Amino acid sequence: MPLFTQPPRSADIELAGPFPPDLHDVRHLWLKAGLLLLWALVSFGGTYFARDLQLLVFGSWPLGYWIAAQGAVLVFIGIVVAYGWAMNRFERQDAARAQSGEAVAAGSAEAPPRRHG
Amino acid sequence: MDERNDPGEGRAYLWRLHRILALYVIGVLAFLALMTWAEFQGLSRHWIGPIFLFLTVMVYAGIGVYGRTTDPEEYYVAGRRIPPVYNGMAAAADWMSAASFISLSGALYLQGFSGTPGQAGGLAYLLGWTGGFCLVAMLIAPHLRAMGLYTVPDFFHVRFGGRWPRVIAALAAVLCSFTYVVAQIYGVGLIASRLTGVQFEIGIMLGLGGVLLCSFLGGMRAITWTQVAQYVVLLLAFLIPVSWLAYKQLGNPLAPLVYGAQISKIADLEAQLLDSPAEHQVVQTYLRRAQDFEARLGDVEGALEREREKGRERIRALRAQNADVGLIVTASRELASLPRDVAAARERWTREMRENYERARPLGGLPQQSQAFVGDPHGTPQEQRDYELTRRNFLALMFCLMVGTAGLPHLLTRYYTSPTVAAARASVGWSLFFIALLYLSAPALAVLVKFEVMQNLVGSSFEALPTWMAQWARVDSSLLSVEDVNGDGIVQFGEIRLGADLIMLATPELGGLPYVVSGLVAAGGLAAALSTADGLLLTISNALVRDLYFQDSQRQVSPEQRVILTKFALLAVALSAAFVAALKPSEILPMVSASFSLAASAFVPVMVLGIFWRGTTRQGAVAGMLAGLGVAVYYMLSHVAAMRALPSWVLADGLWFGIQPISAGVFGVPTGFCVAALVSWWTRPAPLPPPIRSEM
Repeated sequence: MPLFTQPPRSADIELAGPFPPDLHDVRHLWLKAGLLLLWALVSFGGTYFARDLQLLVFGSWPLGYWIAAQGAVLVFIGIVVAYGWAMNRFERQDAARAQSGEAVAAGSAEAPPRRHG
Repeated sequence: MDERNDPGEGRAYLWRLHRILALYVIGVLAFLALMTWAEFQGLSRHWIGPIFLFLTVMVYAGIGVYGRTTDPEEYYVAGRRIPPVYNGMAAAADWMSAASFISLSGALYLQGFSGTPGQAGGLAYLLGWTGGFCLVAMLIAPHLRAMGLYTVPDFFHVRFGGRWPRVIAALAAVLCSFTYVVAQIYGVGLIASRLTGVQFEIGIMLGLGGVLLCSFLGGMRAITWTQVAQYVVLLLAFLIPVSWLAYKQLGNPLAPLVYGAQISKIADLEAQLLDSPAEHQVVQTYLRRAQDFEARLGDVEGALEREREKGRERIRALRAQNADVGLIVTASRELASLPRDVAAARERWTREMRENYERARPLGGLPQQSQAFVGDPHGTPQEQRDYELTRRNFLALMFCLMVGTAGLPHLLTRYYTSPTVAAARASVGWSLFFIALLYLSAPALAVLVKFEVMQNLVGSSFEALPTWMAQWARVDSSLLSVEDVNGDGIVQFGEIRLGADLIMLATPELGGLPYVVSGLVAAGGLAAALSTADGLLLTISNALVRDLYFQDSQRQVSPEQRVILTKFALLAVALSAAFVAALKPSEILPMVSASFSLAASAFVPVMVLGIFWRGTTRQGAVAGMLAGLGVAVYYMLSHVAAMRALPSWVLADGLWFGIQPISAGVFGVPTGFCVAALVSWWTRPAPLPPPIRSEM
């Protein structure tokens, strides 16, 4: 409880100075870049060529209309879910590695504790 | 807080919430069943509307009273312990405003796939308002949550230090949230006055009472649970009529899965209508009317005098033949309703000329439902230009709405309330899921209503028009007008004009549902408007008090006093927003869409650079925000009629690249990025800060 009760006082932050973001993990950045590319392809690419895609008809759906009305939204949900899943996985991996690193460090004093990223 | 530390207890808490939600949903359904039964027993329609209005607002207010608090952690961020599913539900209700609920289907009906070159829209709204969540999930929300902040301007303070980044961010937050909240309160007034028949201003006050009880007493904690309750109402209110219509037309209530069958039928019907001689007659009549107005505009003074003389002549003639008193009264009323002076006449006739030209196009000026973009890439130069402009404006609007989503403060603060960073990511996913439940049905509703109109209404006789049409036309002629233009006694598609706001509100009647469903739809619209207004009011008052008033550390007050001051700021903001809404500003909807462009230009470039590039400096942040916001505001104001008084060299000349002013973010966002990056690089030797925070 005491950790979070007080809002950070302006004065404290002023003393501490601004803080830059931590260095981002490269795996996280690649994941984001890949998913953002998919996002741009589906939303901007899908609608830019909508007139051409309209000629393809699946069942009763013209493809261009379907992508804009439903497909893109489903892909957006997929992107957000995939991102959350992958990030959780990365964080679990990091935690596991940190733990095993500690165990190794405790077991043999010579082995340097592995840094986790 | 305890729940987070002990997983067993957390699960118990979650199950308790699930139980409460299930009981609530059952309660709402039972209430609906009860009301339906009462209607069949003969409960008057005059009572159904007020009962819905009163009971729903009382439920929201009750939750507000139950969740009252003065603890800052609870007031600003709901104790940071809302489970992702409920956080997502609350964010979905927060996100879906009156515009989404009431106008989105209408816009899809009127604008089809993409709108016209001059007014992009249609599916751009749907894509923009959902696609932005990908940016929120990956670039912004988890990072802000990791910093343990309270408001969005806090980020600029913590990241860049100094006072200006925070002050500018707070002012930008107030600017884009205030126009938005005015629109919500306007929507509340509209629905409350229609539902109960009271005056518009009293309707506003009724709705405002509900908003205030909630956010005033309980802050974020109460708002969160109210929004969950409101989400349930608004989801049911949307899905029941859509499913019914789909069941009626296609025999399957799962509208989003099956409405594709109607798209090709509509395309066939549109082709028939384009060839129909009766439709051509209607178009010709409107064209004649438009040309008549155009001729009058050539000589406004003379035309006005001629019109007056014609009116007087007619009254004299009627008197001379001892006509019925009613006829004489009508004629003199017509005479009195002529414009008072030349300026008024010019304004009104210009508007009517434009409206008539608008309607003098095939299909009443509506683009074909499923055709992507108007015009033709292989047609005449004019058609090619139309195609190119529609597509460009469609993409521009979509871009602004998406990036604006990632910058609107009232949405971002919703993710501060989740217990962990991982939960913030999951919350975004849940929000998008709950929003999609409704948004996937919106185009379905537009298509089903259009089919209903084209198939059943067009071609029926004017005597057999359903009564609800006359009722709505009486409420406001801009919502619905039907006129036998070519005088053959049969309804043509070009003769019907439906307003964007009407489609959703009239769906139950169009589908022949009991009146209870109309009450539910109105209650859903009210829930959408109230939930968004709650979130916005809290954002504005927090920005005013936390970020502007207390931003220098001299004022030493206890956190409780701070909360109390925030509450009174909220009251003041709510009252002034109600005051502005009561003036019935006409340009509300463009203003709301514009606030997305403003939020996109002001916040997103600097926020993304600040999170991902360590080299961003304070000066760079200030310059980037000011430049982005400045360009967007400048481009918008250059195209507002009131600014024409300024010397012309001050204003932007014409449209840049044919982009409509509503999508000014297309220029603001890149400007913000470039200026922030360049100034940061210029003021580069950023002093190496001591490593103090290591969260995430």
